[in-house]
Amino acid sequence: MMAPRKRSLVQEGVLGILLIATLAIAAWLDGPDGAFISPATQLELSTHIFDLAILALPMTLIIITGGIDLSVGSTMALSAVTLGMLYEAGTPIWIAGFVAIIVGTLAGAINGIFVARVGVHPLIVTLASMALYRGLAEGISLARPISGFPDGLQRLGGGTFAGVPISGMIFAAAAIGCMLLTARTVAGRWIYGIGDNERAASYAGIPIARTKLWLYSLSGTAAGVAALIAVGRRNTAKADIGSGIELEVITAVVLGGTSIFGGRGGILGTILGVALIHEVREFVSWHWQDDKLILIVIGVILIGSVLLNNLASRSRV
Amino acid sequence: MTRTIANRYPDAASGGDPAASITLTMPLQPANPGQPLHRRHWLLTALLCITVLGVSVVNPAFVTVQNFRDLLIQCAPIAIVACGMTFVIIVGEIDVSVGSLMGLLAALMGILASPAHLGLAVPWVVVITLAAGAGIGLLNGLLITIGRVPSIIATLGMLTILRGITEMLMGGEWITDLPAGLRTLGTGAIAGIPISILTAAVITAVCIACARRTHLGLSSYAVGDNATAASLARISTTRIKLTAFAILGLLTGIAALVSVPQQSVIESGIGVGFELIVITAVVVGGTSIRGGVGAITGTLLAALLLGGIRTALVFLKLGETATYWERAIQGAFILAAVLADHWTGVKAWLIGRRGRTGAVAP
Amino acid sequence: MTRFARTFAAVLGIGTLLVAGASMGGLAAAPDQPKKTTICLLPKKKGLPYFTTCAKGAQEAAKELGVELIYDGPTDGSPEKAASMVDRWALQKVDVIAVSPNDPQVLGTAMKKARDKGIKVITWDADAAADSRLFLVNQATAKDIGYALIDAMAKDIGGGGGEEPAGEVAIITATLTAANQNEWIKHMKERLEKYPKLKLVATKPSNEDQRLAFQVAQDLMKAHPDLKGIFGISSVAFPGAAEAVKQAGKTGKVLVTGLATPNDMKAYVHEGTVKSVVLWNTVDLGYLTVRAAHALANGTLKAGDTTLEAGRLGTKKIEGDQILLGQVLVFTKDNIDQFDF
Repeated sequence: MMAPRKRSLVQEGVLGILLIATLAIAAWLDGPDGAFISPATQLELSTHIFDLAILALPMTLIIITGGIDLSVGSTMALSAVTLGMLYEAGTPIWIAGFVAIIVGTLAGAINGIFVARVGVHPLIVTLASMALYRGLAEGISLARPISGFPDGLQRLGGGTFAGVPISGMIFAAAAIGCMLLTARTVAGRWIYGIGDNERAASYAGIPIARTKLWLYSLSGTAAGVAALIAVGRRNTAKADIGSGIELEVITAVVLGGTSIFGGRGGILGTILGVALIHEVREFVSWHWQDDKLILIVIGVILIGSVLLNNLASRSRV
Repeated sequence: MTRTIANRYPDAASGGDPAASITLTMPLQPANPGQPLHRRHWLLTALLCITVLGVSVVNPAFVTVQNFRDLLIQCAPIAIVACGMTFVIIVGEIDVSVGSLMGLLAALMGILASPAHLGLAVPWVVVITLAAGAGIGLLNGLLITIGRVPSIIATLGMLTILRGITEMLMGGEWITDLPAGLRTLGTGAIAGIPISILTAAVITAVCIACARRTHLGLSSYAVGDNATAASLARISTTRIKLTAFAILGLLTGIAALVSVPQQSVIESGIGVGFELIVITAVVVGGTSIRGGVGAITGTLLAALLLGGIRTALVFLKLGETATYWERAIQGAFILAAVLADHWTGVKAWLIGRRGRTGAVAP
Repeated sequence: MTRFARTFAAVLGIGTLLVAGASMGGLAAAPDQPKKTTICLLPKKKGLPYFTTCAKGAQEAAKELGVELIYDGPTDGSPEKAASMVDRWALQKVDVIAVSPNDPQVLGTAMKKARDKGIKVITWDADAAADSRLFLVNQATAKDIGYALIDAMAKDIGGGGGEEPAGEVAIITATLTAANQNEWIKHMKERLEKYPKLKLVATKPSNEDQRLAFQVAQDLMKAHPDLKGIFGISSVAFPGAAEAVKQAGKTGKVLVTGLATPNDMKAYVHEGTVKSVVLWNTVDLGYLTVRAAHALANGTLKAGDTTLEAGRLGTKKIEGDQILLGQVLVFTKDNIDQFDF
């Protein structure tokens, strides 16, 4: 089996170095206290990122096929509102959660149908459904917040099991699943094949439409799960959940070396990308307490890492 | 490679022997024969007419000169920036940083013009704002061409960087003392036509002419359609792309100059989400996100339609609850406009003719 | 070695490094150093003049008291980001966190978590659930604000001649999901019952966008020709709506009111587009908040107290768990020039 990911290991190396550098600077600035870099702090701060991290996994796969999904944040809102409305109406939380994930999956599947079966460009479909799904969430809930979720859901968002955040475990399981999918399965090869050359993939008999449909549905599922985590973390379900998260997710994925043109990239890069963004964000805010600085630093890292990568691998066109 | 161009654009053949000269011609018939571009224009025009007629039946106050004037003023900055964006998308790139650039230029303009800050004369403010816009556009272009950073990454980075710089420049304050001269750019009129509409009209006309008649315009289509073929035809991809990004930056500067002084306050949040409005207008207008296909007419129609829907919803007076559904209605409208254009695809899917392998992307 | 194995090894390696780095940081000994009291002040949204003026007052108090003041908030007003900041401050073991919650539920959860860690948490500017904070530095409750806005509008429309105010009014809010604005709107509707001839015809979002607020105001005036008043109840919705009224030549015919710092609305008040601006002294609000936080940190302020010594503001009354700043101010043509913030 041909390894389809060509240059991304270079990017992963760059990211690894940046990540270690960030942590080193953090440790140095921490002084003797070691508060930021201490495992307890790190574990607790990590709960801020797992919803984004979970969204980044299917996004990576979709971008590898040459697509994009801008609607993940809005799908999250739709799932969150579904969860809240059902729970408020007296549905047991686990059923409400299950239905919320189903709703997310369906929202993703609708994107998938338009992209894969109708043949509309994913950017256009998801630009439209980004407005549509958030609008539905606002309409269904009348923009009301819903609160008072049971402990179980709150633990899912911010709680720990044996010291490890539960949302982190969900992410780890999903990440390993996606790694196995890309590295070990035929479907994984299809994903890279579609992204590398869709026409060729079609001639080779790869079920392009079905693969895409599954991927966009998976993205919806992930949005549903991320919604449960985000709702649980703050004990609030509201139609503004996840607004703007789509750009942060895409930033993490492309920072992780997945090519926006498709065919190249991987889950490991995305994990590193997410980790780097998370660490930089937390660390800058921890030490300099200035929100606008984070914007600048993340932007510079995003552009800088690709420039660095281009220097490191001159062969890339 | 002359044959490539000739085959893609059959019109080229009629202009003489295709093998003898590389005459670039406007791709009247775009690369994708399944979706002729002009059908999209008719579709948008029809939707626009239906919206206007439908709303005016419910509320005749919708069809007044004043209302159309306001609608045009509202669409002017979208149209101006969308012209540049159409170029950038036609050459096969994208720029998601225009909203942040708009915010930065607004802050810059305010600081330059406000008597409490620098208090420069209006001509200087105009020149510096435009230069800064074009300069940052050029910087984007350099990152993308020389730095080989994919445009979405470069501009996604710029989106946050520029916003951060804007926040720094503004320092948590508003600028409320814009000089009258600058305010005139946003509120004034020449021969009864507001400056912003006039500017948008001139720029659109120039851009349409450029796209159809000039070497730059035609080269842009060539670069976007097939960069390799274009470079074989001695078109400098780098130069075309740099020009496209610089023009987009310049146009963002112009849009900022005619739209920001319309308001009395300059704050750090100007332009947040503007990039999405512009990109939506461009793609709903029929410009292919894959590059090589598109026209500014469609962008303009789409900008009018999207602005019109929002205004229409106010005039329909649907009541309190309906306000919460407005975003959903707008989203459904965009989706409907896109799907109507892909009607063949929708039909095929409904009938299930495409089978398991599905549609190869057009 | 397969790619998966390589990937896995890489993950393992980086994980090890992380843990190593973490433990190295943790192992270093911590010498004792005299600790300055640290007070964190969280605005709803950083970069708004309203909060910038609050921060000025806060810095003034911090200087007087010799405490360290951290002023930070999300530049985009995202409640989730604000909650993350509270989480971080709690982990940094600051002394007091003063929160202006942009979303009482989202922030309330984070504030409770901080309180569980032993941090003293108060709210200022806006409130969250009572069990998530010790005190509220109260310049005006949502009810006060809602009522003051309606009363100001009623007075402006009625012309002060004792006749009953009549006509259509509309609200331009921030976003549909904005928690504070929704609370104000609830109380505004409540108060409207007192003026049966004032009819609320529309409540529209402006998404914190001045241009959009401007356009919505234009549309509202055309769609409702009898419109008499517009409430612009988010930061930029107010000047946006006022500008729309001015440019439509309806100054004096359609009145605009809302919350804003006086300096930002002076021009509109003088020309008559805006007759009343509702607000309070924001500099004093920031000052009082830091005073209260400091008193809480050094133990001079406890639950059950009825007064607070607040430096240059003198003695401030405490009702229950609410430290009162004073009255809501209504700025008009006659008094707006006396204020400079």
